[in-house]
Amino acid sequence: MSAFPWFGMDIGGTLVKLVYFEPKDITAEEEQEEVENLKSIRKYLTSNVAYGSTGIRDVHLELKDLTLCGRKGNLHFIRFPTQDMSAFIQMGRDKHFSSLHTTLCATGGGAYKFEPDFREMADLQLLKLDELDCLIKGVLYIDSVKFNGHSECYYFENPTDPVQCQKKPYNLENPYPLLLVNIGSGVSILAVYSKDNYKRVTGTSLGGGTFLGLCCLLTGCSTFEEALEMATRGESTTVDKLVRDIYGGDYERFGLPGWAVASSFGNMMCKEKRESICKEDLARATLVTITNNIGSITRMCALNENIDRVVFVGNFLRINTLSMKLLAYAMDYWSKGQLKALFLEHEGYFGSVGALLELLNPT
Amino acid sequence: MEVNGYQCLGEGDAETAEGKQQRPSKETARSGKAPDGAENAVAAALGGCAPRDRLASNSRTRQKIDSLKKNRPPFPWFGMDIGGTLVKLVYFEPKDITAEEEQEEVENLKSIRKYLTSNVAYGSTGIRDVHLELKDLTLCGRKGNLHFIRFPTQDMPAFIQMSRDKHFSSLQTTLCATGGGAYKFEPDFREMADLELLKLDELDCLIKGVLYIDAVKFNGHSECYYFENPSDPDQCQKKPYNLENPFPLLLVNIGSGVSILAVYSKDNYKRVTGTSLGGGTFLGLCCLLTGCLTFEEALEMATRGESTTVDKLVRDIYGGDYQRFGLPGWAVASSFGNMMCKTKRESVCKEDLARATLVTITNNIGSITRMCALNENIDRVVFVGNFLRINTLSVKLLAYAMDYWSKGQLKALFLEHEGYFGSVGALLELLNPA
Repeated sequence: MSAFPWFGMDIGGTLVKLVYFEPKDITAEEEQEEVENLKSIRKYLTSNVAYGSTGIRDVHLELKDLTLCGRKGNLHFIRFPTQDMSAFIQMGRDKHFSSLHTTLCATGGGAYKFEPDFREMADLQLLKLDELDCLIKGVLYIDSVKFNGHSECYYFENPTDPVQCQKKPYNLENPYPLLLVNIGSGVSILAVYSKDNYKRVTGTSLGGGTFLGLCCLLTGCSTFEEALEMATRGESTTVDKLVRDIYGGDYERFGLPGWAVASSFGNMMCKEKRESICKEDLARATLVTITNNIGSITRMCALNENIDRVVFVGNFLRINTLSMKLLAYAMDYWSKGQLKALFLEHEGYFGSVGALLELLNPT
Repeated sequence: MEVNGYQCLGEGDAETAEGKQQRPSKETARSGKAPDGAENAVAAALGGCAPRDRLASNSRTRQKIDSLKKNRPPFPWFGMDIGGTLVKLVYFEPKDITAEEEQEEVENLKSIRKYLTSNVAYGSTGIRDVHLELKDLTLCGRKGNLHFIRFPTQDMPAFIQMSRDKHFSSLQTTLCATGGGAYKFEPDFREMADLELLKLDELDCLIKGVLYIDAVKFNGHSECYYFENPSDPDQCQKKPYNLENPFPLLLVNIGSGVSILAVYSKDNYKRVTGTSLGGGTFLGLCCLLTGCLTFEEALEMATRGESTTVDKLVRDIYGGDYQRFGLPGWAVASSFGNMMCKTKRESVCKEDLARATLVTITNNIGSITRMCALNENIDRVVFVGNFLRINTLSVKLLAYAMDYWSKGQLKALFLEHEGYFGSVGALLELLNPA
């Protein structure tokens, strides 16, 4: 059994995702044996929901009474911006993390990029794992243990109907084959045939980072939450050039309805139109453009791989019901009901869960 | 019989002088399909055109009857593609007008011809791309030059006004138009200028136009080209490409938006997919991000900028390559991904933003194209559309991306007449209705 603490870490392009297993079955004897810094780490993590100025524990995602490797406890989900990595490593040093002789399993690009920093600044050796391996492991695991008795996986019924749109549980028991679309800073699309057999079909650089980067430039906002909030209040149809703006109606020959976007931001080449829209409209148009592009590429992959279920994960979808519903709708509409868009509650944390699993069950 | 690679309707029928004289002055179209809403004008025009060299050279009367009858449509010969951003117009200027024909020529037809051919700019936004002019072209038995003119779609009302002022409708010619605007502006043409448009599908016209222009060549040179060594700035060379056996072909039309077609034969194609992130996105975003006003300005800025500070690259995330999946460190992981960071935002200039916008849009098109090529099992891709006009940056980027990511399996091809093929296809439909 690996020594506590048990962490899994996914150092992405924008966010670091950390999962921490808090043992709740510690015996009196074990507690007595426990070294001081291990106890302090446990208390620090579990008695706070915010760390420093940017770290956040997603309490609503906590998995309670989980049995992992024979131990019972809670699984906590913590995130902070990758640009605060140095502060995190400092803290690892200050808390003498290296004396705990635990392996720090890390995935994501940052596991490679920050490996020297961990070693030099905190005397910590990272066990580097591939982000897509971890992603898949994490997804399969969380879905199997369920989310405090509820389904981890869900879909939207009637996604376009604001009144009738309902989130419904989905049983991912027989998941294969599956298309897994990970929307982080960038996007990776994987075709998963079995738990050990998958391929990265393609990717796109127009991801969550693009949405946030463009929003910051176009609207002056500073955070993802701000950008989403503006998008919720805006209208993209004045920013985009629609099929009906060009055709005067539908482009029937090729089944393109008048409301479909022909040219994203296409109206913005015109001065009067630029002056008639507001920042919220730009945020909305950015979100719609990025989301629809991902949806479109995903659809092509699903068609070519002959897979009819697509699971969308990644922190671009965190608190982003707008994009989720758009994806749900687009998949359904453009595939004439053949494709189903699925979502998972733990969105962007699967890589870190997979890293934790590798710690406990090295392959 | 093929004339300059293009066959006119009606050829193959023996046309005796006697036969021509006995024909009534108006005849219904020989081809099956009656075009919408233009019955009289079209019926007069259609019926085929005999090759010029069959005309008796000594009978002025016969010549006069011929031109009045259905041999070929009356001048002027236009093809029009009304797109989301630009209107593309091709105009055939006959250079073999006889003295007699000139005498017969109605005043407004002459004035249209002179106006179009003696100017290179029209109003404040119309432009004739002189460098694209096809000289000494034989079309439907007539010899002349083919002119390529464009103006912004938003100036359409002015164009319709001009047609009204020049009494275009009295010329009884059919105005063959394609693109979305052929549908959108149809009522305006009818109500403001009493003109009936013959509406044609933009993708049908695109393909027809591409095959035709490639066949007639560009004043003796190749219409189609590619880049050798696209990633080497020193060794990169533009080279002619022979599109003789074009099928199957992936045709990527980058206008305001993008359509991707798989073309299996001249009559068999399908629209594989499209993307709304096209030329209009590039220009719209650039206007917003940099304050520029025109496509030319946006391109000029992009040429002077660096996108690598704006984009988050694989190496920014991995510290190097993402070897497991063959992603080199210089590949973009997240377009504009560095712009969420305030200090980075403050360190880039407008030119960098313009460059990043161009690179993002271009690479996205390239990526989607590559997937289509893979899935359709086609290894040659032709990129057309006015996004590529004076846009060597995108052209080379596409050439490079196709080659690199397919490990040399895919070839990116380009055509000199970029965005004009739809309008050429429309012109061809006027002369040879399908």
